[in-house]
Amino acid sequence: MNLLTLAGLLALPDNGGLAVVRPREAEPDQLPSVWDGIVWSLDARDLTAVPGGLAILGVEPPSEPWQQDALIRRVHDLGFTGLALPRGHRLGEGTRRLGQRLGLQLMAVEDSLTLARACWHLSEGKDALTLDYVRKVARSIAYPADNLADLLRHLSSGLGHGVALVDAEGVLASAGGYVAPELLRAMDFAPWLDFVTDPPFTAASVRVDSASRTGLRFVIFGQGMERAHLAALGVAAEVAMPAVAARLLIDEVADVNDVAVASGLLREFLESPGRIEDDLSRRMIERGWRTGGVHLGFRIIGRGRIDALALLRVVKAELSGLAIDSHATTSGGGVSGWLTFGAEPPPPELERWVAALRGLHAILQCRFNIATGVGTLESGGVGLAATIDEAGDAARIAVNRSATGHFVRVDTLGLEQLLLAWSEADTFIPAARALLAPLLEPGSELLATVSAYLNHESAVAPTAHALGLHRNTVAQRIARAQELLGLDLANPETRLAVQLACRALSTRAEGKE
Amino acid sequence: MPATLGVDDLAALARGFSLLGSGGGGRTAILESVVRRTVSWPVALHESEGLDPSTPCVAVGIAGSTYLLAERLPRVEAFERLLAAAHRWTGTAPGAVCAIEGAGLNGLTPLLLTGGLRFVDADFMGRALPGLDQMSLIVDAVPGVVCAASTGDQGITLVESPVRGDVEQIVRSALVQAGGANEVLVAGFTVGDLREHAIGGTVSRALSLGRAFEATGPGAASRLAHDLGVSLLGVGRVVDVAERSATSASSIEVAGDDGAILRLVAGSEFVMLLRDGAVIAEVPDIIVAVDSISRDILEVDALTPPRHVTLLGIPAPAWWRAREARLRAVDTRAFGLTEPRRA
Repeated sequence: MNLLTLAGLLALPDNGGLAVVRPREAEPDQLPSVWDGIVWSLDARDLTAVPGGLAILGVEPPSEPWQQDALIRRVHDLGFTGLALPRGHRLGEGTRRLGQRLGLQLMAVEDSLTLARACWHLSEGKDALTLDYVRKVARSIAYPADNLADLLRHLSSGLGHGVALVDAEGVLASAGGYVAPELLRAMDFAPWLDFVTDPPFTAASVRVDSASRTGLRFVIFGQGMERAHLAALGVAAEVAMPAVAARLLIDEVADVNDVAVASGLLREFLESPGRIEDDLSRRMIERGWRTGGVHLGFRIIGRGRIDALALLRVVKAELSGLAIDSHATTSGGGVSGWLTFGAEPPPPELERWVAALRGLHAILQCRFNIATGVGTLESGGVGLAATIDEAGDAARIAVNRSATGHFVRVDTLGLEQLLLAWSEADTFIPAARALLAPLLEPGSELLATVSAYLNHESAVAPTAHALGLHRNTVAQRIARAQELLGLDLANPETRLAVQLACRALSTRAEGKE
Repeated sequence: MPATLGVDDLAALARGFSLLGSGGGGRTAILESVVRRTVSWPVALHESEGLDPSTPCVAVGIAGSTYLLAERLPRVEAFERLLAAAHRWTGTAPGAVCAIEGAGLNGLTPLLLTGGLRFVDADFMGRALPGLDQMSLIVDAVPGVVCAASTGDQGITLVESPVRGDVEQIVRSALVQAGGANEVLVAGFTVGDLREHAIGGTVSRALSLGRAFEATGPGAASRLAHDLGVSLLGVGRVVDVAERSATSASSIEVAGDDGAILRLVAGSEFVMLLRDGAVIAEVPDIIVAVDSISRDILEVDALTPPRHVTLLGIPAPAWWRAREARLRAVDTRAFGLTEPRRA
C-alpha cells in the first residue's frame, strides 16, 4: 500500500471536505502528514492500534474540553498520528495545542466515509480512482458546451481540478484555477503524457493533436497531488483530450466564418459612402457596431506576409481588456478596427486611448511583423468610414516609418505626407511614369520646371525666381511640356494629376539617389 | 486521652480544612473569627474509640451556596433549635458532636456546640463533597438516622427516610426556602456508629496539614508538596475557563510550566485533573489549587486567567475505597463524568 499524505488528500476533490484544524499560533508543517494505514470507526473506543496511521471517526468531538483532551489522548495512545472527525473545528484551543504537543495532526471532515474512500483510492484503489475520473470526464462532456471556454468549465467542475489548454508561450484558455508560470516552465511539451511533480505544483498533461495549431497540451492541474492521483488524472486527460481538440476545431471554423461575415460587412459599409441602407444598418447593429457616437479608427497591416486571422485573434483578446466599446475584423490582409465613444472624449482621455492602441501595437509586434495606423476622431456613420480610411492611409505610411516604431497616427501627419503616401502607392507610380514619359528624356529639365511651376501656383515669375532662370525660359519650357504631354495645364483636374505625378516621380528619384 | 485544641491551633486547623476542601467547602475566615471569640478554649478533641460507643451523637454543618457562606454569619441559635427538634424526635439527648463535612468552614462548625457536647474527631466525608447523599452514614444506609434542617428564620424540617435520595432532595428544598444556605444537623446515631460508618481523624489530619502548610516557607512548588507530604500534580498558568453549565462541569485549562496541557474538571469542588488528556487525579482523591505566589488556597471560582497555580494531590480517606458501593457514591460516575478511567 502507498503512504497517504495530507497534501495528497487535500488535493483530491472528493475528500469529504477535509480541512486541517490548528491552534491559533501554530507553526504549520511540524506535525506528521504522512500516514501508513487508516482506520475508520464510529466510536473512538472501537479503534484498533495502528502505529503511524490515520484515524477517521464518524462522530463529532465531545463538547466538554476535558473529554476532547481525553479523546485526543486515546487516539494518540493507539499510535495514530492523524485524526479526522466531523465538526473537528469544534475542538477547543487547548485540545488543538494538545494535538500539537502529542504530534497528532487534527483534521475536520464533513463526510468521514468519503474521506475513508478517498484514502483507499490513493493507497490501494488506483483503478477505482481512475475509473471515477473517467466517468466524470464522460459526464462533463455530455453537457453541450457553447465554446472551448465553456467545455473547459464543464471539465473543471466535473473533475474538481483546474484545467487548461496551454502551449509553450502561455495559457490559451483555462478554467477552475490559475496556471502558475512555474508550472508551465516545469512542463515537458514533447511527450504524449507528462506529469509535473514540482511541489507544490502538480499536473498531468497530454498533447493535443490539432490540425491548425501545434504544441498544444491539455493539462489538469492542482497543488500537492500524489503520484497515484496524477496517474489517474493522466488517463482522464487522455480521455478528455479528443473532445477538447474537436472543440478547438469547431471553434476555429466558427471563428473563421464569423470573421468572414464581419469582414464582408465592413467592406460593404466602407464602400457605401455617405449613405447606409436599412439592411446594412440592421446587420451592423446585430454585430453591435454602432454608427452613432464618436469613433477612432485603427488599422493593422503586415510588413510582410501575416496570418490576418491569427492577428485578429490576438487583437480581439487584447481589446477585450480595454474598458471601451471596441470592434475589429480582418479586412484586406490586415485588421481594421475602431473604438466607439458615447460623446467626444476630452483630449487627455483621447491620448490615453491612443496610448492604449500603441500598447496593443507593442504587444502585437512581439509576435507579428506589423504596422499600425490610427485615424482621427470622427463622429457618426460617415465619420466611422472616414476614420477607418485615415487609419488605412496611416498604416501604409507606418510600414516604412521604423523611426516611429511602425506606429503612425493621422493627427501627427502633414497633409502633404498623406498625399504623398497615397501617391506613392505602387499602382500610382507606373501611371505617373506613363503620363510624364515625354518629359523623362535623360538630361531633360522639363520635369523639374513643370514641378516648380505647379508648386508656384502656375505663375511664371516666381518659378523663374526659384529656378534662377529667365521668365521667358520658363514660359518656353512650360509651353513645350504642354505640347509634349498633350495636356492643358489650365484645367484644374489635369493640373492636379500632373502635379501628383511629378511629386511621386521626383521623390522616388530622390529616394534612389 | 483526648487531644487538646488551643486557640493557637485555630489558624492551622482552618488552613487544613481549606486544603481538604479540594476547591470547595466554603471560606473559613468568618467562622474562624466567630469561633475564636465564642468558644471556650481549649477544646478537648476525642477519638471515637476513646468515648463510650453508646453515646448519642449529632453531626452539624452548613449547606448551600459557598458565596453566601462567605458573608452570612453562622447562627448558633439555629443549631440549638435543630438540636431540640432532633431530641424530640429521637428521644435521646446527644452527648457528642462532630462535623458532617471535615473540610472548609464545616470542619469548624462543630466547635460552635462544644459548650455542651464533646467534640469527636470524625466526620461523614473526610473532604468536601457536594451532596448530602454523599454523607458516609447515608451511603452505608445506617438505620434510624434523621436529618434536621432549618428552612429560614424559625422554621425547621426533619427527614427520616430509608429511601435513597430523600435526604438530598428534601434538605435541598429547605435550603432553597432558607435563601440559599441553611444549617443542617444529623442525629439518630451513636459514637459507636462513627467507628464503622464515618471517617475518623479528619480534624487531626487537617491540623497536621495546616501546621505543615503554615510552616512552609517560600520556595518551589515541589518543596511545598514535599513539606506537606502530598503529591505535586502540576504547576502552570490558568489560560482558559469553560464555565460550568446546567449540563456540564467547568473545565479549567492550565498551561503547564513544562508544556503539558492540564485540564481541571470542577463542580463546586475539583473533580478530576487530566494531564495531556490522561487522568492523573480524580475524586475521591483531593485536588488542591494553591496560588503559586501568594500561597492562597484557591476555591474553584478563583482559578481565572492568568493566575499561576500549583496543583497538589492529597489521597482520599481510605474509608471511601474500602467498599465498591462507597466508591461509587463519590467517584467520577457520581459526578456525571463517564469518560475515561485512569489508565
